[in-house]
Amino acid sequence: MNNQKQGTNLLYALIAQAKTYNDTIIMGRGDPDFDTPPHIVAAAKQAMIEHHAEYVPVEGLLSLRQAIADRVKRVNNIDVDPDTEVVVTNGGQEALMLMILAVIGPGDEIIVPEPNYNTYHDALKFARGVKVSVPSNADTNFRTSPDDVRAAITPRTRALLLVSPNNPTAGVINRSDMQALIQIAEEHDLFIIADDIYDLFIYDDFEHVSPASLPGGKARTLTLNALSKSFSMTGWRMGWIVGPADLMARVKALKAAITGGTSIISQYAGLAALTGPQDDVQRMASAYKERRRLVLDALDDMGMHYGVPQGGQFVYIDISFTGMDSAELAQKILADQHVLVYPGAAFDRERGQYVRMTFLQPEDKLREGLERMRVAMKNIMAAQ
Amino acid sequence: MSHTKNNILAQHATNRDLSIAAPPLTTRTSSDFASDEIFVPLDERIISGTAEALESGQTHYVDVPGIAPLRAAVADYLREATQATTQAANVVITAGIQESRFLTIQMIGENFDRLAMPSVVHPGVRRALGVRPMPVEMLAADAPSGYLTPVSEIQRALAAGARFFYLESPARLTGASYSELDTSAIADLAAQYEATIIWDQGLAPWAASAPSLAAYAAEGAQIITIGEAFPGMGLSSWFIAYIASPQTLIPAMQSQKQIMAICTSTASQYGALEASRLFSEKQSAYAHQLQHKQSALRDLLAQQNIEVLPGDSATVLAFRADAAPHLSEDMANGADFGAPGVWRVTVSFSSTSEAILNSVSGKGLAS
Repeated sequence: MNNQKQGTNLLYALIAQAKTYNDTIIMGRGDPDFDTPPHIVAAAKQAMIEHHAEYVPVEGLLSLRQAIADRVKRVNNIDVDPDTEVVVTNGGQEALMLMILAVIGPGDEIIVPEPNYNTYHDALKFARGVKVSVPSNADTNFRTSPDDVRAAITPRTRALLLVSPNNPTAGVINRSDMQALIQIAEEHDLFIIADDIYDLFIYDDFEHVSPASLPGGKARTLTLNALSKSFSMTGWRMGWIVGPADLMARVKALKAAITGGTSIISQYAGLAALTGPQDDVQRMASAYKERRRLVLDALDDMGMHYGVPQGGQFVYIDISFTGMDSAELAQKILADQHVLVYPGAAFDRERGQYVRMTFLQPEDKLREGLERMRVAMKNIMAAQ
Repeated sequence: MSHTKNNILAQHATNRDLSIAAPPLTTRTSSDFASDEIFVPLDERIISGTAEALESGQTHYVDVPGIAPLRAAVADYLREATQATTQAANVVITAGIQESRFLTIQMIGENFDRLAMPSVVHPGVRRALGVRPMPVEMLAADAPSGYLTPVSEIQRALAAGARFFYLESPARLTGASYSELDTSAIADLAAQYEATIIWDQGLAPWAASAPSLAAYAAEGAQIITIGEAFPGMGLSSWFIAYIASPQTLIPAMQSQKQIMAICTSTASQYGALEASRLFSEKQSAYAHQLQHKQSALRDLLAQQNIEVLPGDSATVLAFRADAAPHLSEDMANGADFGAPGVWRVTVSFSSTSEAILNSVSGKGLAS
């Protein structure tokens, strides 16, 4: 594989290679193995019968926006007006793009704790914005240091990206750090772009804190979320942004220009997810908790160093001891044992000595994947 | 309000393209005269086929350019209906026609210094440009032609250096289409000047004759066609459309699609796949009915001494009414397309000529 391929293209190349094997175990991609709960599928079918041609406002159905407002109040302690402070999106990915375009113009800087989800970089590139990295590492469980953020601010800084739990590191920003980061944003008049997509997946004694829920946060924060991870609805493309009305008017105009609307069927499915039974979310969260333990135990057995996942659905593993870059190692593991893990180079181009492994496989498959990973690492190290 | 926020909002306020008004993308009522789409009941087979796919677990991410059978179905349709040489690998499935506009204009546009487009065009084009502005060269387009830019004007722009074009045929405002002769001439010019043309053919299934530029594409030219996927099958609120492009241009659009959506909703894709199986059975009959209705309406408006503009797409009809503020609630406003004083009525199955006439003439004057 061409080691110069980075970011999204690097992942494409690995996924394409993985598809050439008929027994690949995918332990990199962020797509839950669970199917969408049946009551949501049933609601979608009912929507096809009753609402298939219903008018779709750019910002989404009011009933869904109300359900979103109720959800962010209940889970995130954010008060929003469903009329003016909620926009429904084609998944978290469109939300991400819209938030960047809403607050970042050509030459504007945004502070990005690294490593981070690769498409933030791509969205920034599209907006012709400038990413200013604030690195973190496994030794501190990938903590975003407020002091490091403060030191990175320049006169061109316009925004601060806060992804908690972080993808790919699974680090969670604690309450005092979050408050300190908001204070920095206030002092320097910065927007906050908050990605809460993994907010229901928190482990041990950690807590999720939305910046918009804290004093000083709401007026300057756009918060995204989606149903992909929590309800296993990746294929439905159902997400949202909440934020202050003046910024949300800009988000809505951008949404009108990029896609114009969100499928009526997905919106009714989303409404059923948010207002229906929540048992499946709990069931999946419990499964991820057990799988996390399984994965961490196996990594400990292999002597691997990683940041302890405080949230999310993955673990970020330090592979610097191999002496290889992450793309090379991911390719070797894939070729040797047909296990796909995502190379850290896809998330952090400067510091790629990590690979991301997800918990999103059934337990038996996860065990097999971990065993294959153990064999692959043994083979790779023996060949050196 | 903070200084940073003030600046951002001020920038937004000056971006007229981003805030331009546009007709509703989906219908508000079963006889909406303004929307870009028409109301059509959904066939039970689309419901059952889509539900079956979802119930069998098609609820996960799928390939960025779309599920393979739908890409193949769109390619098959385009080959059969337009005589283009489109293969599945040339097709990207999008979350609606606006995403098709956005991806083509923004991503292919990165290779060019400006976009040449008719002065009268769907406002969604201007919106897509407004996200990340690029220089625009306006091409003349006048009412007698249904706001199609004359071939001579395209030739003039090419000679002056324009290499990237956005053209509609049928025009979204009037339904006017380029003839085979004109389409062939545009294709020849595109090849001669090695130009790249985005060709919005979304209304073509509703026209008696609307040749696709892709059918005439010659070596040297890059022709990209866009349109709604299987229109008239009741999927307008499902947001599903296509881009058909030379393969060399696909990676940039696919990469951007990944960044902004990952993929198009699987429910919409499986719905469109079912629609593809019904399209040949149902759509031509629908088009025939609407053409008849549109023709009758055209005659009625003419009897009222209302100037009707040329156009043969069955779902739209444009007319001139210079001072008619009462129309703004019911009809698509030509001013949003760049043609003040012109209005567009959407002709659908449930809209009667009487209701349209009443609306045109101010609630009752023409009855």
